[in-house]
Amino acid sequence: MTPKRWFLAATLVALVATGVLALAVTPPRENQGYDAVRLLYLHVPCAWIGYLAFGVTALASLLWLVPRTRNTVWDLLAGASAEVGVVFTGLMLVVGSIWGKPTWGTWWEWDARLTTSAILFFLYLGYLALRRSGATADERGKRCAIAALIAFVDVPISYLSVTWWQTLHQTGTVFNEKLDVQINGSMAFTLVLAVVAFTMLYGYLVRERFELAQLEEGREERELQIAIEERVRAEQVVTV
Amino acid sequence: MIAVSHNWNYVAAGYAITTATLVGYAVWVRVRIRRLRRNLPDENRA
Repeated sequence: MTPKRWFLAATLVALVATGVLALAVTPPRENQGYDAVRLLYLHVPCAWIGYLAFGVTALASLLWLVPRTRNTVWDLLAGASAEVGVVFTGLMLVVGSIWGKPTWGTWWEWDARLTTSAILFFLYLGYLALRRSGATADERGKRCAIAALIAFVDVPISYLSVTWWQTLHQTGTVFNEKLDVQINGSMAFTLVLAVVAFTMLYGYLVRERFELAQLEEGREERELQIAIEERVRAEQVVTV
Repeated sequence: MIAVSHNWNYVAAGYAITTATLVGYAVWVRVRIRRLRRNLPDENRA
């Protein structure tokens, strides 16, 4: 078995263990929608992966912008990580909304955390659309790298929004202002395991998406090469 | 006696949507990789 397959197998084991613990071992909580609190083990890791993915996109974009480190690899990595980040951020919003209904009595509220998270999702959707815009690879790379860095500004705003505005969404369960951890026992263990499992899944998906981006880039280059050759041939025929 | 809803329907919906989305995305990426690999010229095929 290849290292990639071993990693995938380990990721799946971690995810299944998370699922079993989250659904069968951890206790319900009255003030968190009884059993709906089990959505915590999806919602929090999805939010973490969104922040991580957009952080990787920002870092890769910065490395692409600096002339000394400029390499197509950074541009492709930024795109791959952003796409995976959008998937997880979208899931975070949907799962949060499902959890919100039995806990808060509403699917959606224009609360600071929810609003800044939705903005984050749409900012990176826009970034992905920008990556598909027609331009030379260099122009597109520069445009996207700058956009990624601007969009990243919303990550700390979204993260700190619960401390700054204290609206409906609860403050951090682990990393709050007083560093008062509000979770323990099987719940804390399951949450840590869920974060590890989702981080492994992020690593696998980004690797896959990066490979796909490399293949797409190669195809574009081959198509361009064929088009140039055909053009040269056509011009030669005209000249003769 | 008041029946207490434990909200398992919300839990099921959340886990089902998450699983379907992540599996669907992983499969979609893998299928596209395979399709592009199949169309590679022989000398570039890994």
